[in-house]
Amino acid sequence: MTEYRNNARLFEGIDWLTILIYVALTIIGFLSILSTKYVEDDPNPFAFSHEYMKQIMWIGISWIMGFVILLMRSSIWHKYAFHAYGFALILILMTFFIGKQINGARAWIVVGPLRIQPMEIMKIAIGLTIAKVMSAYNFSIERPKDIMHIGCLIALPVLLAILQNDTGSGLVLFSLLFMLYREGLNNWICIPLIFMAVLFLSSFMLTQTTLLLSLVAVLYISMAMMNKIWKIAIRAFAATLLTSIIIFCLGLFINLSYYYSLLITCILSILVIVYYAFRTNMKNLYILAAIFTMSIVMIHTSNDLLDRMFTHQKERIVSFLGLKSDPRADYNVIQSKIAIGSGGLFGKGYMQGTQTRYGFVPERHTDFIFCSIGEEFGLCGATVVLLLLFGLIYKMLKMADKQRDTFGRVYCCSVASILLFHTMINVGMTIGLVPVMGIPLPFVSYGGSSMMTMTILVFIAFNMDASTRLSISSDRDKMIF
Amino acid sequence: MISHYEEQTRKRISFIILILIFGTFIAKLVTLQILDESYEASAKDNYLRYVIKYPPRGEVYDRNGIALVQNKECYDLMVISKDIPKNGFDTTTLCQITNLSYKKLKTRLSSARYTPRSGYLISKYLTLEQKLLLDEINIPGFYTVSRTVRNYPLNIGGNLLGSIGEVTPEMLARNPEYTIGDYVGTEGIEAAYEKVLCGEKGLALHNIYTKGNEHDSIIKAPIHGQAITCTIDAKLQLLAERLMHDKVGAVVAIEPATGEILVMASSPTFDPNELVGAQRGNNYMKELKNPRNPLFNRAVKGRYPPGSTFKLANGLIGLEESVLLPQNRYPCHQGYTLGKIHVGCHSHPSPLDLSYAIATSCNAYFCYVFRNILENRKFGSVKKGFEAWREYVESFGFGKKLNSDFLGESSGFLPSKAYYDKKYRNAWNALTLLSLSIGQGELGCTPLQMANFAATIANRGYYYIPHIIRPDSQNTLNIDKRFSTKKYTMVRKENYDIIAQGMWRGVNVDGTCRLAALKGWDVCGKTGTAQNPRGKDHSTFISFAPLHNPKIAVAVYVEHGGFGADMAVPIATLLEEQYLTDTITRWDLYENIVNKQINYKVYDRVQK
Repeated sequence: MTEYRNNARLFEGIDWLTILIYVALTIIGFLSILSTKYVEDDPNPFAFSHEYMKQIMWIGISWIMGFVILLMRSSIWHKYAFHAYGFALILILMTFFIGKQINGARAWIVVGPLRIQPMEIMKIAIGLTIAKVMSAYNFSIERPKDIMHIGCLIALPVLLAILQNDTGSGLVLFSLLFMLYREGLNNWICIPLIFMAVLFLSSFMLTQTTLLLSLVAVLYISMAMMNKIWKIAIRAFAATLLTSIIIFCLGLFINLSYYYSLLITCILSILVIVYYAFRTNMKNLYILAAIFTMSIVMIHTSNDLLDRMFTHQKERIVSFLGLKSDPRADYNVIQSKIAIGSGGLFGKGYMQGTQTRYGFVPERHTDFIFCSIGEEFGLCGATVVLLLLFGLIYKMLKMADKQRDTFGRVYCCSVASILLFHTMINVGMTIGLVPVMGIPLPFVSYGGSSMMTMTILVFIAFNMDASTRLSISSDRDKMIF
Repeated sequence: MISHYEEQTRKRISFIILILIFGTFIAKLVTLQILDESYEASAKDNYLRYVIKYPPRGEVYDRNGIALVQNKECYDLMVISKDIPKNGFDTTTLCQITNLSYKKLKTRLSSARYTPRSGYLISKYLTLEQKLLLDEINIPGFYTVSRTVRNYPLNIGGNLLGSIGEVTPEMLARNPEYTIGDYVGTEGIEAAYEKVLCGEKGLALHNIYTKGNEHDSIIKAPIHGQAITCTIDAKLQLLAERLMHDKVGAVVAIEPATGEILVMASSPTFDPNELVGAQRGNNYMKELKNPRNPLFNRAVKGRYPPGSTFKLANGLIGLEESVLLPQNRYPCHQGYTLGKIHVGCHSHPSPLDLSYAIATSCNAYFCYVFRNILENRKFGSVKKGFEAWREYVESFGFGKKLNSDFLGESSGFLPSKAYYDKKYRNAWNALTLLSLSIGQGELGCTPLQMANFAATIANRGYYYIPHIIRPDSQNTLNIDKRFSTKKYTMVRKENYDIIAQGMWRGVNVDGTCRLAALKGWDVCGKTGTAQNPRGKDHSTFISFAPLHNPKIAVAVYVEHGGFGADMAVPIATLLEEQYLTDTITRWDLYENIVNKQINYKVYDRVQK
């Protein structure tokens, strides 16, 4: 069995419009990098030490790679999905031993001139793997065991990313929640998950006791919403509070703080919930209990963990929320907003941007590339780029809907989620809507690793889409003849 | 599986989420880019800086148009930290050219890293040759900026011309137009005419991304400081400084008809060029530590006992009060003795009249005169007599600031009645103060005051406040009116004629200063030998020439120079000769004086 498609119908079924959007984005990216990095009196403007020359190379490699992927037989994605996941996981684990620390994250493997970020490979692998798991015959999105299965597949790399101090990349995988929601994940699981993510991010602002109390509240509210058992949930919440107070009073003799009495109560209540779930056969309560347990463990370690690992992230978030002005964390955002804000309607003109060209905006060719576009082409240019990205994501969702099997649908949807998350965080942070995280703008930001990952991601989707259309048209042919 | 209906709803909701996210972004972009205008200003603040452009200071010329102070181009080496080659550069050559040590260069480069995008000063005061060498090696990130510093082509008049230093906090408080780091005149002419010389600062908009200043857009061009012509005669000043070489003291010469200061030499002096440029700090400390204190302008700040030159003042007062007549004769037998009091004198014919008393500088004669003034019945008491005497002396310009254009001028010291009341607990009389008669005792005068006194006698009764500024050809400079108003003393002209006659006799007939005689020029003069508790007598001489229509009045003061005729007279006469005849004929005298060393125990002991 050959892995390539039939030569006769090499380019049939390919959605050229979407590919055009992709090409346009890469070219815009290159021009923006050129604008931020080109120096007039450079004696050797074509030297490969310049970022824009390297980007040309990456774009070339990516296009070729995309072309090759288009030629592949779409069945191989399903076939090697688990292999890819395993491979990516091994690479991530390897970073703990031979990884190199870049920008505070120990997330890179350096082989000669090549720098590989295994998390990027994981982005591709996880889409394929989850698609494969979900396309299994006996999979049901409503069965807690299956949800747990997916949860573990996502949580494992996220956890590793956090340990690598690369929270940004880890959070990207969380974006798959969007896909899961679209695939029919129970509403009331999405809500506690989002709640908990927010709580976790803001945990350093609250005392541990308050945090635990709000977690308990979230637990019971979700329980009530999921199973419409409001009365029981309220009673259980009251009972938990009461128990904790009683334990606290008893514990006064041994100097037990309220936090620990609440913690003990929580452990007791988890046991009660598990028992209750067993009795009433409410399977989703198991998931809730699991999430809750995990969160408690997280809280317990979060302060410690945050202090050790996320000082970077913590400062940014605190600064973003305006709780404490930190000039270092603020600087990027202020400069970025100045750059974009000074662009006006039509911008200052290509290569005329003072803020990005003179280097006031840090990381202006990577994470803050959107500033360059906003400054030099103004609102019009920024809107065009946003529309292109929107078009790509929209097309990707449409491709998902057109897919005949679950595998393709889930994969395309995952790609759309990842693209959406990247765009949301990246553009959001440059205009001050989202805290600063090291997440590049797809196809536009400088960087070979991100460029190739994103290209592979979307071209696999294009490839699937092409073969779907091909099969649709061949079915039509069969119907005619 | 979820129902088809549910699936459609979720698709719709996810589409709405998508629209919401992108809609929020575009809305935010509209507010940032279109509605909020403040970002444009912030962007400009980022890369445009207002830069002050410093004008070159005005030049200073002497009365004959010879340049005393000029401006010299020098270069500052600057660096833009972020443009330095990442893989290093040739620091050895850079250090060699700029004479910086490697360690110093390293520390400056590391401080430059705090402002990576703007220029940081690496080395000041580079010469043109150094600049050209730097241009040749052309290290990226480094550039030179030109500016001007002071240059003194004749190397004279350190204290007179003053120097430039950074503005002090006190001066900043008084003059808000200055900012920290500005350079202002700190002494002498530079300080006195700061307002004229400094020019007007300009303003430019500097695009910080462009290196150097060539791209600056000038908002207001700096205005070159106005050049001034000063009253100094450069040749004479140079001669005075040569003559005062290795001696401590001061020479002041004034043109009596205008009050213009021709010479003001304070000795020891310093090389004004040393207080410019990279070595300013070190040289300044060196001069500061010199026990002879070259930075102290003795000509206007020194307080010396005038010695016998002050006898002229007492003579004038006596004549004016009619207690002394020119033909009055008093005896002198090796001095003046009354009871326990004895004022010594040298051997000379006795008794003697006023003009001979002046010529030969008789102490006893002026003791009589002084007593007669103070004990005049007219005043009722000695103390009232003293107050009248003091009023006279003050009118000659002693005991108060002359109000010349030198900022640090000293007032000298003229004791008051209250001072003596306190000192002698009210129990004092003319005999107690007898040393005032011969210019000793508590009296303190600056050389400028003494020269002014000589000019007053030359003018026969009035003086112009000595000053250093002279109207230039265009007469653009607003010279203070006080410099062109006659200040009359309380003594009439005819009495001055008598005193001047005595001075003429001292030089030309039979007196203490025969050396000062110049053929054809009726030089008049009075020597002084001021006793002091610290060592050998001070040698002093005041003089003017010629007797009628005087052209120059000189006061010379040489600390511990011995008799007035030893040091002060030769210096004064050489100066007068140079000024009046434009040559020096007595070269042996010149050599003798220049090479004469005085042993200054007082100063040089401190050094050990």
